[in-house]
Amino acid sequence: MASRVLTRPPALRSPAFRSIGRSVLLTLPMALWALLMFTPSFRQPGRNLHIGALLVILFMTALFFLMMRTGKTYRWRRYFFVALGLLFPVGFIASLVAVRGTMSIPIERMVSGDTPFCYMVIPMLILPAAVTRTIIFPGSILPTASNPHSIAIMIGLWLALTLVVGKAWCSYVCFFGGIEEGFAALPKRMKIRKLDPRLRLVPWAILLFVVVLSAALFEPVYCMWLCPFKTVTEYPAVHSVTTAIQMGIFITLFAGLVVVLPYLTKKRTQCAFFCPFGAFQSLFNKINLFEIRFDREKCVDCTLCQTSCPTMALSAESIREGKTLLNCMKCGACVDSCKKSAAVWHLKGTKVALKPERARLLFLYGAWAMATMFGGSILANSISTIIGFLPLR
Amino acid sequence: MLGLATGPICLASCGPVVLPWMLVQPQRVRSHVRQLSIFLGARLAGYLAFAAVIWLAGIALARSGTARSWIMGGVQVLLAVGLLIYAAAWPHARCGFVRRRKNDLVQIDAASTATPKPRPTGAIALGFLTGINLCPPFLVAGVRAAQLPTLAAALMFFAVFFVGTAVWFMPFLSLGVVRRTPSFLTVARMAAVLLACWYGFTGGSLLIEKAIYG
Ligand code: SF4
Ligand code: SF4
Repeated sequence: MASRVLTRPPALRSPAFRSIGRSVLLTLPMALWALLMFTPSFRQPGRNLHIGALLVILFMTALFFLMMRTGKTYRWRRYFFVALGLLFPVGFIASLVAVRGTMSIPIERMVSGDTPFCYMVIPMLILPAAVTRTIIFPGSILPTASNPHSIAIMIGLWLALTLVVGKAWCSYVCFFGGIEEGFAALPKRMKIRKLDPRLRLVPWAILLFVVVLSAALFEPVYCMWLCPFKTVTEYPAVHSVTTAIQMGIFITLFAGLVVVLPYLTKKRTQCAFFCPFGAFQSLFNKINLFEIRFDREKCVDCTLCQTSCPTMALSAESIREGKTLLNCMKCGACVDSCKKSAAVWHLKGTKVALKPERARLLFLYGAWAMATMFGGSILANSISTIIGFLPLR
Repeated sequence: MLGLATGPICLASCGPVVLPWMLVQPQRVRSHVRQLSIFLGARLAGYLAFAAVIWLAGIALARSGTARSWIMGGVQVLLAVGLLIYAAAWPHARCGFVRRRKNDLVQIDAASTATPKPRPTGAIALGFLTGINLCPPFLVAGVRAAQLPTLAAALMFFAVFFVGTAVWFMPFLSLGVVRRTPSFLTVARMAAVLLACWYGFTGGSLLIEKAIYG
């Protein structure tokens, strides 16, 4: 295991990668896409929403421009991702409180299917749905007036995004990962440097556990017992020893995996060592067109990339083989940190390191478009909620 | 017919035990056939033992919530112990869960693909325990058996019920062809630990609840 200390995030050290003119030109399609995405928001009434949408358009476009100008991906993506992770709970909790008056959900409302659908459940749905044609989640399959985020819409959206970005979902779409990425960014140095590489297998074991047990019990076991993010979203009302134990587990997991360990290790520990959905999503890396590869002719085995990887998706052997492990989420940290330009973006089916910037561009257009569409609307909503709380006239 | 019809529920009840246990077996279809046969044989023994007890004790036992909770709690705790032993590849050859070569004192490395040839004891223990695990179809069958006029009829009824449910276990044989890499075995063992925790938790809380509230 690499023990080199990452003292700084992959930084803007190199001279400008592209001219301003070319960067603007390359950013233009994304700016148009962002405008297109938020046009409906401007048609809706509500000044706060308009301000939120405008800020998000500027924010996403500026970040994309900086990616083009500097040639760095991870550094700028991280601003978006941390903002998404921190602002998602704000908007979500505010709407829960507005609708229900509380963050907790009473059991009657859960049974009546009045629960927003979360993509984390998807791997647990497959077996019961295949065997018994039953969806083991208490939500509405089709959208309703009270619950527009229906199961069918969320699954369709997940599938579309996953086909485009694969496991990069975890770097560009997921609204949970940003919280720990934020905590991981806080310290200058890793406080814990040695991590057992077998830890990266734990999400697969949890995936197996939740899939088997959900099929056995006919309930989404992860949501009932293991989701750390219940702490900052919606939790079952505590009215018994069982629900108190559940809350205890949620809070412990959140504090440990999302706050403390990322701070100590500078890794996304929940994503890397726990999240079963992340493991499931890794499978789609097999069919996704984009990946990170290592140009063995340039690589000097300095392990800088390995140390900078937030999910331990690199090992000495994988680098020697010129590949990442299956759990690579295409965040770009390794590429940004490599001083020899040996870590490169790669379009499958082409020669490695032939036109890495072209592969990066193609990937980023897809991933950033998804990020703007999915994460951007969450950001706009949360910003408008926050503005609503401000004492402005 | 009852066995066939309720098979998916039986599978759902026993699957969390069978799946991780089969995944840590060596990658050979023959070995899987052997182990699954022993497992099912032990499960049948569990069924018949239950049928005999239920017939002798009468329908009251099948319907008694207290007895059911004690049995279920106890069985689940034992299943947890069984899975934990498997997950840890217990280094003591005497417990019989893992066969070791003579003088082989080295504990199985979690990252080793050379899974030792398992002794039948593990399959027998887990099979018997799942055989007396009181899942809902099992209780329905128990009530029916308790009403039968003779012990032989009750045993026969459970034997046929067993055949119906056993069919549903055949897909597990396909796991014999799945390639065992070191990572795969580690994942299977970790999942077995998690499932053991689950059974330990549910069984333990049932027992504690019964001990406190009666
Ligand atoms: S690993 Fe899980 S929590 Fe982390 S980003 Fe991916 S889906 Fe989200
Ligand atoms: S291998 Fe590189 S791109 Fe993949 S997760 Fe690690 S740092 Fe990110």
